[in-house]
Amino acid sequence: MQLINKKTPVNIKAALTIATSALLGTVSVAGHTQESQKVVEESSWDFDTAFLYYSESDRVSAAEAIINAKKTFENDQVLNLKLTIDSLTGASANGATAQPNVQTFTRPSGKGSYQTQANATPLDDTFKDTRVQLNAQWTQPLAQNYTGSAGVHISKEYDYLSLGLNGNLAYDFNNKNSTFSVGLSYFQDTFEPEGGIPVAFASMPLAYGSEEIDSGSKEAFDATRRTDSDDKTTADIMLGFTQVINRRMLMQFNYSYSKVDGYLSDPFKVLSLVDDNGIAQDYRYENRPDSRVKQSLFAQTKYHFEQNVVDVSYRYMWDDWKLDSHTIDSKLRIPLSNTSYIEPHIRFYQQTAANFYQPFLSQSQEIPEFASADYRIGEMSAYTVGLKYGVKLSDGNDLSFRLEYYRQDPKDAGHQAPGALKNVDLYESVDAIIAQVSYSF
Amino acid sequence: MSVLYYRPHRTSLFKYSVISLAITLASGCSSLGVQPWERDLLAKDEMALTSSPLDAALDDHIYFSKEASSGGKSFGGGGCGCN
Amino acid sequence: MNKQPIRNVELLTTDDGHCIRFDAMASPCEVIVASKDYQLAQTLGKLIADEVWRIEDKYSRYKTNSVCSAINKSNGQALVIDHESYLLLNFADTCYQLSDGVFDITSGVLRHVWQFDGSDSIPCDAAVQQTLVNIGWHKISFNEQQIVMPKHMELDFGGIGKEYAVDRALLIANEFTELPVLVNLGGDLAANKPREPNLPWQVGIEHPGFVDRKPMVVSLLKGALATSGDAKRFLLKDNVRYSHILNAKTGWPVLQAPRSITVAAPQCIQAGILATLALMKGEQAESFLAEQEIKFWAIR
Repeated sequence: MQLINKKTPVNIKAALTIATSALLGTVSVAGHTQESQKVVEESSWDFDTAFLYYSESDRVSAAEAIINAKKTFENDQVLNLKLTIDSLTGASANGATAQPNVQTFTRPSGKGSYQTQANATPLDDTFKDTRVQLNAQWTQPLAQNYTGSAGVHISKEYDYLSLGLNGNLAYDFNNKNSTFSVGLSYFQDTFEPEGGIPVAFASMPLAYGSEEIDSGSKEAFDATRRTDSDDKTTADIMLGFTQVINRRMLMQFNYSYSKVDGYLSDPFKVLSLVDDNGIAQDYRYENRPDSRVKQSLFAQTKYHFEQNVVDVSYRYMWDDWKLDSHTIDSKLRIPLSNTSYIEPHIRFYQQTAANFYQPFLSQSQEIPEFASADYRIGEMSAYTVGLKYGVKLSDGNDLSFRLEYYRQDPKDAGHQAPGALKNVDLYESVDAIIAQVSYSF
Repeated sequence: MSVLYYRPHRTSLFKYSVISLAITLASGCSSLGVQPWERDLLAKDEMALTSSPLDAALDDHIYFSKEASSGGKSFGGGGCGCN
Repeated sequence: MNKQPIRNVELLTTDDGHCIRFDAMASPCEVIVASKDYQLAQTLGKLIADEVWRIEDKYSRYKTNSVCSAINKSNGQALVIDHESYLLLNFADTCYQLSDGVFDITSGVLRHVWQFDGSDSIPCDAAVQQTLVNIGWHKISFNEQQIVMPKHMELDFGGIGKEYAVDRALLIANEFTELPVLVNLGGDLAANKPREPNLPWQVGIEHPGFVDRKPMVVSLLKGALATSGDAKRFLLKDNVRYSHILNAKTGWPVLQAPRSITVAAPQCIQAGILATLALMKGEQAESFLAEQEIKFWAIR
């Protein structure tokens, strides 16, 4: 302290000016921008959580919980960790058609059977699965105007393992009003279903091991199985372009190309083999091609009105299974006060059938190379209507509720229904309710 | 602690806003995009392209398992045995 | 004091813009923006309020989870600090050096013996001397990574925190908009530019505690104003008025200091420190500022 001058007036003012600029950073506007962003965001984890309940009338219900933790470091590096847990129970269509009589199906494991009442769509009630998924994503600026991101994905359920990697590079230009991005992702999935993977078009064997009468044998069951497990790989490339139009509006355009190879059939799905009267004589395991190339174009725009924000997107997707789809999704966020809003949501979806989709097999025709009666690759339209309510709590945390109704209407793409099949609903609609609570802190 | 007040000023504000509006329009015509200080609305959370990432993730999962299409907005590839 | 007040931002529409009000640092706070855009004002106000609350949470000694409390509870152990805290400590160090030890952010423990409630309860010198043992910025060692503070000592950022928040708030405003903005945190304030070209902000300064005095109106084109002193906080004994401005070296109030000083400077934290340093000069307060060619308003 003795070294400090017995302050002459000029010293104090000048010294304080220097000390102040050291404290507050450089004087350039750009410098301020970076500095304040950094200090605000540094050294805190942001948590987003959500719990969703999905329930189809008489069919599947699922509960899913997500915890997302995000941390922003100095230099705008962002670490995102996400844990997803979901559990599925209930019944799912097995692909067979409704019949005028009671039908009996062997469970996928081969042990035990289930029955479907007359004129009801056969549902396999075996489904019960819990899935745990972990994602980690690291994003950081690489150079002036370049942002890189890389992530890993692991998802495990009882009979399924999925491992994934992704990378993304974004380039900002035109004063950060335009962004071009390219992304790659790769998934390696292994499916090890209960009861193994059936031989394509094998007849559903009789159940064994139970005390029921007329049961089959393990040997007969095993003869219909090809292997215990099989793989699937998915490689995606995505090109994106984002443009700020003006102070109120921005747009995004994406093109994506996705190649899926490997076991793409569903080991639990069968087709009814019917005679000329439409009566099921047998159930055959489905068979799909072992590759699929999907492409899509996606456009989205957001517009900020005086108060409201509208979000509209459209997607056109097509693949080499000759399936194509249109999706329109729109949301309108309406502030109710400074701290709360409602957001109505409407989504329309329409798809054509894959070229090998057929609701059943006929004895009068040869078994084709590929066939599936899974309504999810048949012609279908669907819509979702929903409403979200969000509120910022007095402690600054966000709470929101979402309630939606989802309806799928499978359509007849011109398949002639013989005899008894004329009198049953081959294209049963599915109704579902989606309820969600989210909390961010 | 002190409290302060501001004398109302009515002078020439109207003229000022007309001029600034004209400048905004002129610059807006020349090219798409905004200046950094015009990002007030775009900077809001609700103007992010994916304003509710968890909603999007949950929706992707539902529609991936119930429909034949997936992705488009973000990667929609594998990841679960639900399809 | 640990109970969190409700953190709300209130938006008012004025003749030629918007005024955002909120409470922080035990003071009423305002952000005035010369824009008719409700959304812009709302967003800006929230950004600024969040930043002020962040600083309050981080540096208030009343907040148990603050960095300040962590240091005060460190019990002589080294404590890791972040860059922002390092910069603030560095600034406090400069102020300590410039004031020759009279301004000291470790002097807060003196409040245990000095209660400026307008009464005549002057502590005995022995009590003051005992407290001085736990005061002394020079006993603290810190660098960019950590701080080591001896046991029983306490930091108090109260002398610089609010002014720092004003400057930070204006940095954020400038990043967000080019519009004229004025930030006022309980009387310490700054503006980034004239509210209209060449038309200054008319700022009325109500000197704290002077109920009978008309607010003084100051024209401010840009820059900051900070006020130090409080007419309500003093002790009076034997006709001697003891101000609440304490000399950290002696532990005793600075005698014959003005009751309040308002200083203008480019940045609020400069203005605040200059006002405080001037008060600490006692009788020479005004001449100290005049010599520096600093614009000020003093009340004796």
